[in-house]
Order: sequence, then C-alpha cells, then structure tokens
Amino acid sequence: MMNRMIKGVIGAAALGAMAFTASLAQADALDNIKAAGVLKVGVKADYKPYGFLDSSGAIIGLEPDLAQDVADRLGVKVEFVPVVSSNRMQFLEQGKIDLMIATMTDRPDRREVVLIPDPNYYSSGTNVLARKEFGLMTWEDLRGKPVCGIQGAFYNKKTGQEFGADIVAFKGTAEAYAALQQGNCVAFVYDDSALVAKLNEPEFAEYEMPLPTIDDAPWGLAVQKGETAFAEFMSQTVTDWHKTGKILELETKWGVANTPFAKAMHDKYK
Amino acid sequence: MTQRSRSHDAPPKKTDMAVMLPVKRKAHDPFRLKLTPWHGVFLALVCIFTTSYGYATTAPEVDSIRTVMLRWMPLLLEGFLFNILISILSMAVGTAVGTMLGLAQISLMPPIRHSSWFVTQFFRNAPWLVLLFFAMYLLPFEFTIAGVTIPFPDWIKAIIGLSLPVMANVSEIVRGAVLSLPSGQWEAAESLAYTRRQTLWLIILPQCVKRMLPPWMNLYSILTMATVLASIVGVSEVMTLAGRVLAAEDGRTDLLAPLYSFVLFLFFVYCYPIARWTVYLESKFAVKG
Repeated sequence: MMNRMIKGVIGAAALGAMAFTASLAQADALDNIKAAGVLKVGVKADYKPYGFLDSSGAIIGLEPDLAQDVADRLGVKVEFVPVVSSNRMQFLEQGKIDLMIATMTDRPDRREVVLIPDPNYYSSGTNVLARKEFGLMTWEDLRGKPVCGIQGAFYNKKTGQEFGADIVAFKGTAEAYAALQQGNCVAFVYDDSALVAKLNEPEFAEYEMPLPTIDDAPWGLAVQKGETAFAEFMSQTVTDWHKTGKILELETKWGVANTPFAKAMHDKYK
Repeated sequence: MTQRSRSHDAPPKKTDMAVMLPVKRKAHDPFRLKLTPWHGVFLALVCIFTTSYGYATTAPEVDSIRTVMLRWMPLLLEGFLFNILISILSMAVGTAVGTMLGLAQISLMPPIRHSSWFVTQFFRNAPWLVLLFFAMYLLPFEFTIAGVTIPFPDWIKAIIGLSLPVMANVSEIVRGAVLSLPSGQWEAAESLAYTRRQTLWLIILPQCVKRMLPPWMNLYSILTMATVLASIVGVSEVMTLAGRVLAAEDGRTDLLAPLYSFVLFLFFVYCYPIARWTVYLESKFAVKG
C-alpha cells in the first residue's frame, strides 16, 4: 500500500512536470508582426455591434474594423482571434494575440497585467432594463432583488456589492433577456447603448431604463506588458482615430448613436 | 384412466407439463422505445411546427425564425462537423494510449502494473470538464522544437483534454475484457507452448475485440455528447457558435428554443444510430444459451 502511495506521488509529480510551460523570450512586437506579415487581434465574437459573426462565420463589427485599420497602417494582414472576457488577458499575456480590442473597460487592476495605451478609444456606461410596473426609482431599489447580468462583466460586482442586488449571470444576452421576460429577475444590468436599442423593440414596450447611467467608464485596447514601442504606435493610432472622426464614422456604420465620449474626443483632438 | 385418455385425444400443446410446451418468446418490452425513421419525420415536423408558431407571433419587420435558422444553418453544421472531428480524434488518441495502458494493467511486472493502475484510476475518476481545463490552461499555445515553432491551437488542446478520460476508460475496458475470458484459454495456450506475448496477441486479444466493441462504442457516444464542453473553454464548436449566433441576432429571445433544439437534433441524429448499432452488436456477440 505504501509502495502504491509513493508511486501515486511520483505520478502526480510527473503530471505537474508535464504541465509546466516554458516562457518564451520576446523580441520587439512590432518587428515580429512585420516579419510574420500578420497582426493577430483578439476581438469579441458575441457582442453586437462591436464584434459579432456574419452568416459566413467571419467576425465583423466596429472593433474588427478598428483592428483592420491598425493592420493597414502596419502594412500587414489581420487575423481575428475570438476572445471572451474571461480569457482575453491570458491570450495577450501568452502571446497568442498581439493586440486586444475587445470591449475591455480600462481599470487600474487590468493595467497591472497588460499595457493599455492612452488615450482610450471608446466608453460606455452601465444601466438596467426593468419592467415599467416594477417602478424602479433608484439603484438602491435593487437591494435583495434578483438582477440578471452577463458572465464576466465587471459591473455585476458593483451592482451586487454596492447596491446589494443578487446577480444571476447568464452566458449570453438572449438568455438574460429571456430570463427577464420570464420574470426570473427584476432587471437586467448591461451596457447602456445596447439597452437603449432594445427599448425600441415592440417586445420590450413594457420595459424602461429608469436609472441614471453609472460607471461611464472608458474602454482600453491593450498590448503585452513591456511592449512600449507598440504601445506608442497604438497611442498615435487612437489619437488619429479621434482626430479624423473614425470612431464616429464607424458608430454610424454599425448603427450606434454617436456617443458623448466619441464626440468629446473628436472635439478635443480636432 | 379417463383423464389419461382425454389427454391423448387433445392436441399435444394442451399438456400441463411446462417442459412439453414450445419455448415462448418473451413479450416485447413496452418500455423499450424503438425509434424508426418515422419518428425522425415526426421530430422534424415538431421543429417546423414550433418554428411557424414563432413566426406567427413575431413582429413583421424582423426576420422570421425560419429565415434566421436557414441563414445560420451552414455555419452551425460546420461547427457540428468540428464536434465530430474532435470526438473522432480524441477517441483515436484515447483508444491508442488506453489500449497500451490497459495491457500494462495486466502486466506481470508490478511497477508497470501499479503505475498504470494509478494513472487509469486517476483519470477515470476526474471530472471531464476539469481535465479539459487542465489541458487548456496548462499546455502552451505553441511549441518551439529546434527553432521550429509548432502552433498548438485550442481545438488540439481540447482533443488532448478529452482523450485523457477516454484513455482511462478504454484502459478499463481492455483490462475487463482480458480478465473476462475463461482462464482455460490461458492454460490451453500455455500447454501448447505459446509464449505470453503470443498468447496475448493470437489467443486472448482477438477474442477480446468483440467483447470490447459495444462498451467502446458506448464510450464514443458519450464522448461525442461531451464535446460541447469545449465551448466553455472557447473552442468554436457548435455550442459556441450557437451563442454567437444569438448575439449576432441581437439577443432575440424567441430564437433560444429553435436554436438549441436544432443543436439537440444534430446530436440525436448522430448518436442514436450509434446507440442502436451498439445494442445490435451486443445481442450479436452475447453468449448464447
């Protein structure tokens, strides 16, 4: 028996060794990208209109368009890698993607892990969609009530901790909207721009967005930590996007009302 | 006396001695559902009916559910083919390694026997999803061997992650099949001066193959249905695509049921014939008498 246990320990150690991964020494990212001729960009594939699939399976949207622009400036081809909130920073750290433009809110703890060049390229706020008859007045009214959210969204935490709501997190928006309609939760906490669009649908005529938008937080694109030259290049690119009004133009192209943030940045850098 | 003569006159089947009666076939088990192609037609009709019901209740300016489903069907089918590819490759890898592991479990050398026993038990008693995460996040995304970089995409990692439990289960199937053979087979081979290896390859394993086939196919069926676990780790298989399709259609709630029903239907159409075939092989190889 003892013998068997010792073998067990050795076996476990061997497994651990198998799992061990060597880290790779990294040359300058810009040179690598140009040498490879491909810019690998992590984008969302389930977040309309910022990154979603067309019926052929290709990823399209506002952020893929921005990524395409970056690749054009570098004179390379673009390759989209679909990411989700829970793996986007790991992919960047591993070097699986060179650049991440994936609806990521710019927060200090994220800046510790990845390099987010300034200025920010976009911004969104948090709001809730609730049934009119519920008579929601303030965020505090959500205390102790079930509120639907999306897995991996940072505002779940805030709504849960600060306002005391019980967050029920779903995989996708369709599941969350269905849960809201079936009465599994009193409200759905999500990006304000998406919720405004939803209110126009006849199905949601009985719903409202009664609360003030909170957490109007900027979005950051990111490169690997330590890639200062690439970050510098991205800073110039984002500045240029604001200057030329590319963000406003893309918002119109993808059917989003021009956001105050994009307008303000355009005015600032004009 | 009178009784005796009467029994002579009566037709022979009227005897009260059970042993004289012809063997009665067992009545068909009413709980055993046997599907025919007509049931498939029925399922398809249900799908169409629910779809048209959905169509009747949606506003005219949005695409009907049928239009949406037709638009995304090629992509979803492509995703499903990917599931099948993952299942076949994990099964191949798992079977190859698992067979060796199973044979190692009946090795005469204690260290080999014990370590393979441990590996088998470890992977057989671990949740599949945990093994998948293990493979996903602990394996590198590319290997550099002698200056050549070999990419190691997610789906290959998923194949490795899923082949681990398959390996352990195949190992047990092989060990069980070998042990299930009567010991007389070994003794007879030994008396004919066969070596252990010859006995194994020429006598034992050929007899094991047909015993292993039904449980092995069962395992394949289970594995195929488990490939959707890969959606949790971001492989673009049919479940992941279904989620993305929902997002691309603006999170329309009326699409949830038809879309997931379609995915269910795909798996059913693929796995049910395998299950039937397994039952057929089981009855064919069952020891008669």
